[in-house]
Amino acid sequence: MDELQQLIDILPIIAPVIVIQLILMLVALVSLIRADDTNGPKWLWAILILFFSLIGPILYFIVGRRQS
Amino acid sequence: MQWMTVFSKELLEDWRSYKWIWVPLVFILLCIMDPLSSYYLPQILEAVGGLPDGTVIEMPETLPEEALMMSLAQLSMIGVMIIAAITMGVIAGERKSGVAELVLVKPIPYLTYITAKWAAKLLLIFSSYLLGMLASWYYVNLLFGEISFLKFMGVFFFYFIWLAFVTTLSVFYNTTVKVPGLVISYTLLTLIVMSVLYKIFAHIMPWFPNSISTHLMRFVMENNIPGELWGAAGITAVLSVILLVLSNYVFKTKEMAD
Repeated sequence: MDELQQLIDILPIIAPVIVIQLILMLVALVSLIRADDTNGPKWLWAILILFFSLIGPILYFIVGRRQS
Repeated sequence: MQWMTVFSKELLEDWRSYKWIWVPLVFILLCIMDPLSSYYLPQILEAVGGLPDGTVIEMPETLPEEALMMSLAQLSMIGVMIIAAITMGVIAGERKSGVAELVLVKPIPYLTYITAKWAAKLLLIFSSYLLGMLASWYYVNLLFGEISFLKFMGVFFFYFIWLAFVTTLSVFYNTTVKVPGLVISYTLLTLIVMSVLYKIFAHIMPWFPNSISTHLMRFVMENNIPGELWGAAGITAVLSVILLVLSNYVFKTKEMAD
């Protein structure tokens, strides 16, 4: 019970961080799906974006997106 | 006005390449990550476990000022790398793909072209940095203790001069080479050399651009702006202007030569 209470106390403070990470991930995925072509295979980028929060999307936007 | 045309075209392009979404989000995360995780470190250690029962973890109390400076520490590493990455192709990329030739066929002064693009990138970086620092300020006030608005503004303003310098440096290298990968290498290399130089000669160069964060630490702790901070900020701002003028000159001669 004590740990649950602790979690409930922390949640409002941590929630924005999780939400921002989720938005970042979603935007990266939308961009990936809509992109005609990427540097490197698309499925690999999808894995990176999904499983490496923060680093995955950043790397995708900087390296993966092909300037058209 | 031509300047506004180039400026808004650049803003539109940054919007289409999602930069106006991801850069602010990443800056917010960078700025709040360290204050948050250092605040919750005891809980994190407890949750991870592995400590014998009854272990008392003594954490040195973090002052609100120190927590705010943690955000700057993150920005000075990853933030600067992101700035270098999003600006590496601002002119070099267009020259490589030939768009620059298309634009510059029209009688647009080189200085207009360079400063409009520079300003557009600076606006993106300024907005992201503002959002990140506001988020950090909010969390620091909530978790560690109060930091006055004036102090926050001081930190924000002085550190932005450093970030603006990094942006200008990258724009400058954009005019010297056409390959974005080379631009980012030159930018980061210059910054590394500068920080090594500062580490060695700190005692005789109190106004060196890299000293801004050192002086900022003194400013937040002692609550008055040291003269060296004004000096370093002034030097950094002047250097940025010189770099912009140089960019114009280099770009002119390079483009003519091509």
